Amino acid sequence: MRETLYYMERDFRRWSRGKINVISALILPAAWLIFVGLALPIRFTDNYLDFITPGILVLTMLGASLQGGALLMFDKILGFLQKFLAMPAPRETILFGKILFITCRGLIQTTIILVMAILLGAHFLDPLLLLQTYLVLFIFGVLLSSVMTTVALSLEDHDSYAAFNSMIAMPLFFTSSALMPYDQMPGWLEVLARLNPVSYAIDAIRSMQEGIFPATTIAGLLIGAVIVLSVSVYVFRRATV
Amino acid sequence: MAAIEISGLTKQFGTLIAVREMNLSIDREIFGLLGPNGSGKTTTVKMLTTLLTPTEGDAHICGYSVTKDPQKVREQISYVPQDMAVDPKLTGRENVIFYGKLYGIPKPRETADEALLMLELADRADDLVKTYSGGMRRRLELAQALVHDPEVLFLDEPTIGLDVGGRRRIWDHIIELKKKGMTVFVTTHYMDEADHACDRIGIIDKGRVVAMNTPTALKTEICQDIVAIRADGTFKGIFPEGVSYLGRSGDELRFKAVNGEEAGVALSRAFTDDGMNVRSVSIRQPTLDDVFLALVGEQDETMAFDFQRFRTMLRRRR
Ligand SMILES: Nc1ncnc2c1ncn2[C@@H]1O[C@H](COP(=O)(O)OP(=O)(O)O)[C@@H](O)[C@H]1O
Ligand SMILES: [Mg+2]
Repeated sequence: MRETLYYMERDFRRWSRGKINVISALILPAAWLIFVGLALPIRFTDNYLDFITPGILVLTMLGASLQGGALLMFDKILGFLQKFLAMPAPRETILFGKILFITCRGLIQTTIILVMAILLGAHFLDPLLLLQTYLVLFIFGVLLSSVMTTVALSLEDHDSYAAFNSMIAMPLFFTSSALMPYDQMPGWLEVLARLNPVSYAIDAIRSMQEGIFPATTIAGLLIGAVIVLSVSVYVFRRATV
Repeated sequence: MAAIEISGLTKQFGTLIAVREMNLSIDREIFGLLGPNGSGKTTTVKMLTTLLTPTEGDAHICGYSVTKDPQKVREQISYVPQDMAVDPKLTGRENVIFYGKLYGIPKPRETADEALLMLELADRADDLVKTYSGGMRRRLELAQALVHDPEVLFLDEPTIGLDVGGRRRIWDHIIELKKKGMTVFVTTHYMDEADHACDRIGIIDKGRVVAMNTPTALKTEICQDIVAIRADGTFKGIFPEGVSYLGRSGDELRFKAVNGEEAGVALSRAFTDDGMNVRSVSIRQPTLDDVFLALVGEQDETMAFDFQRFRTMLRRRR
């Protein structure tokens, strides 16, 4: 499984050599937080920043994963994947390398947001809360980047991937509990929001803000991640090009 | 046991049979699979490198079946695909070390240095690959493929898109590898290159291997003179006795005849009588190109196919 690290290292090297990649990944989420957290005059709760930060963290992870699947698509289009698949390294390490890179890159982005949020006055400076938040974000990132990487493996070209991406990005975003609490939602939206994996991750972090460990929600995410990973490993082992 | 044993290998895409009943045995030599575009070369290589599952038949690499033991097969081989794929944002050295680590070899750094030295890339090893020429990138791919010292090396059109010097260098390296005991399976549609470098050649057309032998043997099978004529207009008459039509290559019509000089005179007279304007007549010994033309026929479609491929590539890049 050491190969997983080599694949991840390759992606990190390539990413870090494109200055614009790094800047856009690090600056944009923070800008977004300032905009949403301070500029929007909505008040559902006492501290909107505390309320919105979990949403922004999870949505950043979502964005990182949706964008990250394209990495495998380009490896496939440009012929790297063909070479990797003909090598003796276990094929699932290609998948694991991508998942780790995408998730770690997402965690770097969310860290910047956390720092910003704390500076702006969100109550996140608690070691246990931080640890649990990272745990949830990590599981969520693994779940989604695994889905997206496997989708990229299965789809024909980048256009189809982009189409799939935009098809699921909007619904996942708008039917989540990121922007408003459940009791403010219309009934139909609440049903959708309670089924949405994005809401699971957000709700988990919100419970932890209140000092409750959301065992069932985290278990739900974990089970989802295990199922998705098993399917992905199966698909990668049998991949042909 | 031979390094590559292919028996009844077949691949079908829907109704199209891309590779049909292939049987070959290849060992410690440079084997060239020669054929026009779309004849099934890449499909064959992909089946042998475990990237595609055969519809029927099987192949053994160093004794391991590509269908039953693909993992073992991957440990014996290296594969350099037709489309070049090296990371432009990494240095040459990083590109090779990455492969060395993936193959799990004991000393990836030292071995990468050796491979880079052998492929004459040592002085540019720390430059980013985006500054490399096409020929250098191809050699870098060879260096990546060679870090784990494979038993069998698969090269799909290794010289496509390179200039003359770049091509010769690639072939020189391939010949060196064979001398060290490696089995090299290479596809190409450049006859002259295959003629120089390959120990044996298989000619594939529409998925079927139509001839298999050493280049010399293939040429003596034709064993006659080649008459090449350039002329304007179309010929409606009948060809002189003892002359048979091979096909057209570019604007050149090719014939074979036991006595080339006599046939040349007879043909040019017949053409002129038919109202055509004969521009040149030449007589020579057969080349692999002529063998190919005789077996496979006209190669005009090659151009059309290439053009289409080029367009799809452009579309992908966008
Ligand atoms: N994945 C595929 N699906 C359908 N047809 C294919 C596929 N891959 C190749 N073919 C067809 O199989 C034939 C052989 O292709 P290929 O092996 O790439 O030829 P070559 O490498 O000799 O140019 C072509 O007619 C091609 O269009
Ligand atoms: Mg090909």
